[in-house]
Amino acid sequence: MSTATIALLGQPNSGKSTLFNALTGLRQHVGNWPGKTVEKKEGTFTHGSDTYSVADLPGSYSMSANSDEEVITRDFIASGKADVVCILADSSQLERSLFMLADYAGLSAPCFLVLNMEDVAKEQGKTIDAAAIEKKLGIPVMLFSATDIKAYDKFYATLERALKTKAHINVSALEKEYEKLGGYSEIKSQLSENTLSGYTPMWLTVKVLENDKVVSAKLKDSLPGDKFGRIESLAKNGADAVATGECKFAWIDDILHGAVSGRKNITTLGRLDRIYTHRIWGKPAVVLTVILGLLGSFIPALPVMAVGSLVTVLQNAVGSGLTSAGYPHIIISLLCDVILQSMGYVIKMLGFVFGVTLVFGMLEEVGVMARISYVFDNTMGKLGLQGKSVMPFLVSFGCTMGGASGARVIDNWGQKVLTIALAWAVPCGAAWAIIPMLSTVFFGAGAPLIIVALLLTMLLHMWVTAKIFGRTLVKTEDRCGMIMELPPYHKPRWGALFKYVLGRTKDTFFRVVKVVLLVCGIFWVLSYGGSNESSILYKVGTAIEPVTGFFGMPWQLFIAFVASSVGKEGAVGVISALYSGSSYSEGFMQAMSGAARAANLNELLLANVTLPEALAFIFALTFNLPCVVALAATYQEIRSVKWTAKIALYYTATALVLACVAYHVGLLIW
Amino acid sequence: MKLGELKENTQAVISSLNGDARFISRITSIGLTPGCRVVVIKNDRSRPVLLYSRDTMIAVNRRECEGIEVSEVTA
Repeated sequence: MSTATIALLGQPNSGKSTLFNALTGLRQHVGNWPGKTVEKKEGTFTHGSDTYSVADLPGSYSMSANSDEEVITRDFIASGKADVVCILADSSQLERSLFMLADYAGLSAPCFLVLNMEDVAKEQGKTIDAAAIEKKLGIPVMLFSATDIKAYDKFYATLERALKTKAHINVSALEKEYEKLGGYSEIKSQLSENTLSGYTPMWLTVKVLENDKVVSAKLKDSLPGDKFGRIESLAKNGADAVATGECKFAWIDDILHGAVSGRKNITTLGRLDRIYTHRIWGKPAVVLTVILGLLGSFIPALPVMAVGSLVTVLQNAVGSGLTSAGYPHIIISLLCDVILQSMGYVIKMLGFVFGVTLVFGMLEEVGVMARISYVFDNTMGKLGLQGKSVMPFLVSFGCTMGGASGARVIDNWGQKVLTIALAWAVPCGAAWAIIPMLSTVFFGAGAPLIIVALLLTMLLHMWVTAKIFGRTLVKTEDRCGMIMELPPYHKPRWGALFKYVLGRTKDTFFRVVKVVLLVCGIFWVLSYGGSNESSILYKVGTAIEPVTGFFGMPWQLFIAFVASSVGKEGAVGVISALYSGSSYSEGFMQAMSGAARAANLNELLLANVTLPEALAFIFALTFNLPCVVALAATYQEIRSVKWTAKIALYYTATALVLACVAYHVGLLIW
Repeated sequence: MKLGELKENTQAVISSLNGDARFISRITSIGLTPGCRVVVIKNDRSRPVLLYSRDTMIAVNRRECEGIEVSEVTA
C-alpha cells in the first residue's frame, strides 16, 4: 500500500470539480486555507491497494498573482506537497484552455495533462491526437470525459504512469519563444536553479517580466540587493505581460499543430443561447429559469422535508408517552420542545437547501449559470456584483438559506459575501407567509400598499447595503468587469454531483444543529418558569420596554422580533403565546414550526397592538436577520466568523432603525 | 478602433491591449492577445460584447472592451 498526493489544477469550466467529486465521492473534507477565506477542498480515494489524497486547488485562470486563490494555488504547487499535479484542459477549446499548462510550464512539480470533455469535442467533429501532444510535451497526456464512468480506468492508469515517470513539461520550444523577448536572457542569467525552490529560473524570469509583485517580493528577500536592483531595472525596460502571453499562445499553437483536426467550431448561437442573449427576452428567460430551478429543487427536497415532519409527529408521540410514564415536565419539555422540535425544523430547512444546491449546482455544471452571468452582468455590476448574483437573490424569495448556499457558484469571495449580505434583505417564504396576514389584519384593503412599501424598502436596503459593505468587500481595483467564457452546454454527472451535495448538506446539518440547539436552549431557559410572570423572559422584556417602545414595539412584540431571528415562522406563534397568556415556554418552541396560533389571534392583535406599532413590527420582522439556519448557512459559505457576525448585527440594527422610522411615520398618519 | 465599436458578425484582429496588470493577465489568460482573430457575435448596448475567439465563446464587459484595440478585417 502506498499513498500519493495529487493536486488538481484547471481553469473554471475545465471540469475540475466534476473530476474531484467523482474521484473522492463522500470522502471529502472542506476547510479553509490557513489564514484565508479561500475554501480548501481535500479528499481521498483508493484504487487497487493504493490510497491517494487529492487536493482540489482553488479556481484560477492562470498562475499569476491577482487573487488569493491564485497565490495559494501557486504556493501549494511550489511547496512540493503534491507528488504530481493533474492539469485539466477542455478538449473542445484546446487553443485557449491550454493556457494554464503554458503558464505552469517551468514549475518544478511533476505533472500530467488531462484533456477533458472528449465527448463535447467529438460532438463538434474534432479529432485530437493525444499521443502526438504527449510526444511534444514530454508528460503523460490523455483524452478524458469526466462524466463517463468507464473512462476512469484510463485515468488511474495515466495517473500511475505520471507518478512513476515524474515527468516535467519539455519547455525548450517555449523557452525559445521567451528568448526573443527583450530582457529575458539578461534577467535569467541573474538567477539559478536554487534561487527559489519549486520554481525554475525560466518561470521566475517570465513572472518578473509580467510585473508579478509576489515573485518580485520573494526575489528581493532571497537575492543580494544589487542583483535584485539589476533585475528590477532590466524588467522595467524589458518585455511585458502581453508579450509573454503571445509567447505562450505561440507555443500552444505549435503543440496543437497537426494534433487537432476536424471541423472548426461554428460561430453561430444555438437556439437556447439565442433566447438567453436576446436583448428583450434574455432577462425574462433567466428569471424563468431560476424560478423553474427553484420549483425543481422541491423534487429532491420533499423526501427530506417529509423526514423532518416525521420528527415533529414523533415529538407529540414521545411527549404523551413520557407524560403517561410519569416523567417530570421539565425533562419532557426539554426533550420535546427543544431537541425534537429543533431537529424537525432543521431537517425540513435542510431539505430545501439540499434541493437548491443540487439543482443550481447542475445549472452551473451544464453551463446555464454562465449565461445568467452574461445577461445580468450590467445590472449587477452597478452593485459591484457578478451577473450570477441575481440567482441567490431570486432564490431568497423562497428561502434565504437556499440563496446563501446558491451563492457558492460565485467565484470571488468578496462578491460572494456581498451577494449573501444583500440576499438577506429579500423577504423569504416564511416572511411572505406572515406579512400579508398581519397587513390584512391591521390595514385591511391597505395591505397591498404595505407590501409595495416593503418591496421598495427592500430595493433601497440592498442599494444602501451594497454601498456600505461593497467598499471593503469588493475593492474598486478588484472590480474587474466580466471577462468570461460561455462554455458549450454539456451533460452533468449526476452521481458525482449528488454525492458532493449530500456531503455538503451533511456538513451544514451539523453546523446548523449546533446553532439551533444552542439558540432554542437559551430561549427555553429564558422562558421556562413556574408561571409566565416568573420567567426571565417576562422580567427582561418588561424591564427594557421603555427602550423598545421607542422603536414602536411593546415588550411582547420586541420578544417576538427577537424570536423571529430564530425563525420567522415562529413570530406569530410567539405573539399568540405572549398575548394569550398561555405557557411561554411551550408557545415559543411550538412557534418554531409555525404552529400554535391562537384561534382568536386577530382579536388578540387588534385589542393589544396599535396601528403604528403593527407597522413597526412588520418592518422589523421583514428586515430582521432571516433565521438562525440562514446564519449558519451563511457562515458555511463565506467561512468568516467576523463577516457573518458583522452582517447579522447590521441586520438587527437596520431592522430596528426601519421599525423606528415606520413607527414614527405611522404616528403621524394615525 | 475599440472592440466595443465592432458591429455584429464582423471579424477583427486584436492590435493592442491597454490596462493594468490584472486586466492584462485576465484578458491574456482567456486567450485574447495581439494578433488574435475575433468574430463579434452579439453587441447589444446594455450587455457585454459576445465574441468568438480561439475556439471559445467569450463575453467581455463593455468597460473592459475600452482596453482592447482592434482592426477590422473584411472576410
